[in-house]
Amino acid sequence: MTLTIQLVGVFRSGRFNDAVREYPAATRVREVVDELGIPGPLLGIVLINGIHAGIEDILNDGDTLCLLPFIDGG
Amino acid sequence: MKYFSSDPAAEPASVLYSRCTVDLKNGEMRFEDVPCRNLEDVLGGFGRSFQILAERNISHAYCEENPLIVNTGLLTGSSAMTGMRTYFSGYSPIKASKKGLPAAMWSTGSGNFGAKFKWTGLDELIFEGRSPKPVYALIRESAEGPLVELKPADHLLGLTTHEKMMVLQKEYGSDAHFAAIGQAGEQWQNVYMGAVALSTDNQLKSGEDKMRFAGRGGMGSLMGYKNLLALVARSSDKLKPLTPEVRNVNINVVKGGGSTRLQPISRGGGGGTWAAYDVLQVFNAVPVNNFRPQGNDLPEKLFRERVEKQFDIKSQACFRCGITCHNNIHEKKEDGKSGRFLAKFDYEPLNLLGTNIGIHDAGQAARLIHLSDNYGMDSISLGVTISYLLSYNERHPDKPLLNGATFGDFEKIKELIDQTALGTLPEIGRGSKLLSESTGETSYAYHVKGLELPAYQPETNPGYAWAIAGGHMSMATYGLLTREGKSDMESWVRGITVDKLQIVGFDMIGLCKFFDITKGICTQMVVDCLKSEFNLDVTTEALAAAVRRAFLRGLALELRQGYQKDEYTLPAEVWERPNPNIKLPNITTPDFITELQKRVWEIFEPELEGLLPEA
Repeated sequence: MTLTIQLVGVFRSGRFNDAVREYPAATRVREVVDELGIPGPLLGIVLINGIHAGIEDILNDGDTLCLLPFIDGG
Repeated sequence: MKYFSSDPAAEPASVLYSRCTVDLKNGEMRFEDVPCRNLEDVLGGFGRSFQILAERNISHAYCEENPLIVNTGLLTGSSAMTGMRTYFSGYSPIKASKKGLPAAMWSTGSGNFGAKFKWTGLDELIFEGRSPKPVYALIRESAEGPLVELKPADHLLGLTTHEKMMVLQKEYGSDAHFAAIGQAGEQWQNVYMGAVALSTDNQLKSGEDKMRFAGRGGMGSLMGYKNLLALVARSSDKLKPLTPEVRNVNINVVKGGGSTRLQPISRGGGGGTWAAYDVLQVFNAVPVNNFRPQGNDLPEKLFRERVEKQFDIKSQACFRCGITCHNNIHEKKEDGKSGRFLAKFDYEPLNLLGTNIGIHDAGQAARLIHLSDNYGMDSISLGVTISYLLSYNERHPDKPLLNGATFGDFEKIKELIDQTALGTLPEIGRGSKLLSESTGETSYAYHVKGLELPAYQPETNPGYAWAIAGGHMSMATYGLLTREGKSDMESWVRGITVDKLQIVGFDMIGLCKFFDITKGICTQMVVDCLKSEFNLDVTTEALAAAVRRAFLRGLALELRQGYQKDEYTLPAEVWERPNPNIKLPNITTPDFITELQKRVWEIFEPELEGLLPEA
């Protein structure tokens, strides 16, 4: 299936900003995160088609997955 | 602190803290070992100071009965990482109820002053009254215990925060650290947002003005009112040898989930709080032009990846802290080497003295932050009050206020900051609440309960209403919608009344919030530190209960100072002119807020009984 992956902030470093990529059907968010080598503690927000989602959620063909770092005030 | 029990929750009176009370009017001092009343007293910080404030009826911040309480937390000066906090508490000149009564307030910062203060043997210093002449206080260790002296400070008058510290450093050398106000605090009559600057080892070694700040609530102005210009804490270092237990905790703080995202990017971290720019921009939730995001890419001009092309960014840390969350901006020389230090880029000051006032040039933003720091002003209150003025002038182009500054007009904004700090612009210096009441246009003054909002859109955080010491750092709901995606009533009621209030535990125990910002202090890590450092047996449940009582005491104090329940709300523009550009569910409708108020008070109100002494 085809997914659009959007990366934000520090996740772009050494990777990409946006990319259209192919994945097996029923891929979970976690598998994409692992494949991209994004450290778990840095991952703060997962959006699927602009809606907050979870790391174990299953992706569907045509989805846009956006991965954002954690935010902390200060 | 003296411990005669290992169970401070059950036997708090068996723990004593060392307190000095100074009457600034006549120089009289009283030293005493005070038995703790409860676990909040043992933990320290605002958990203790608010109980002292609750014993007084104060109707004006600038009165002799309003004390300035300087204290530390239990883990300040310990070997636990981030244990460097100093707390300044009193009734605030800037945070006040509509009834006009000042709110109790605390503010805190790191740097190495807190540890030095603790190592003198003192846990708390209360300044009563007002000195007839400018003074500074020297706190030092001696064979007989801690000593406090008041010294003439005429030579410090008119100096910036950093300049005061440099003068004092020449006198007191390398064993001393400093807390100081700037010109703004000296102009307390017209500046209610004065901050207290705290010296860092980096600053004292390099001579660069890399200070830390207890900025919120005008504690620097209260200090200025008292004619107290600086504090000097002089002591040998008394850091205990690191035990295996605390070493494990510290490793977890640095390498575990708690602070990884705050570490430098070069170490695989997220790069500090500045990273919030990138994240919030995805939702069009970076404040622009007085909290009105426009749905465009203007905020991206202050993204780190843009700024680092032009400036050298140094990742640095507080002394002994391995988190390294500071992003210090230096000029980049032609040969690529690092030049002059310009400012520290944290999310809050960068946004509120940058994007939110229409400044998108990193060099200009750095200049304004630098000015605010050296004058000794709270960058949040200053930035938001200026953004209110700029918004007013945008709405009234034919009859603008003050110098007619508009969004992005660097020179005029700089002029406003200069004049405010020097006491000639009380319209700005007294904060957005009073300024907006004077214009009659209060809906777009971005304060809650009289204290300006930090750089998170109120549309994303109705929890601001119950923050007891300003914005996001005393009610950690700022990420509940943005980060966690929670837009239902149950999550918000629980967030405000159970989980997110626990953030104030850090403002008791002496640790920085980045020790473990998501979990708070009620963790095994803190339990291990207390056992290892002091042989205290405290459970996470007892810690949570103490933090909750302290928070609720803060709420009870607000109500006693005249706050009405309709003041627990957001700036009206949020629902009068909903911002269509913010790409998050709208949870700040009048209906949602009304229901949230009802549900939250149903939980909080019964618990407020008996928390304050009888008036």
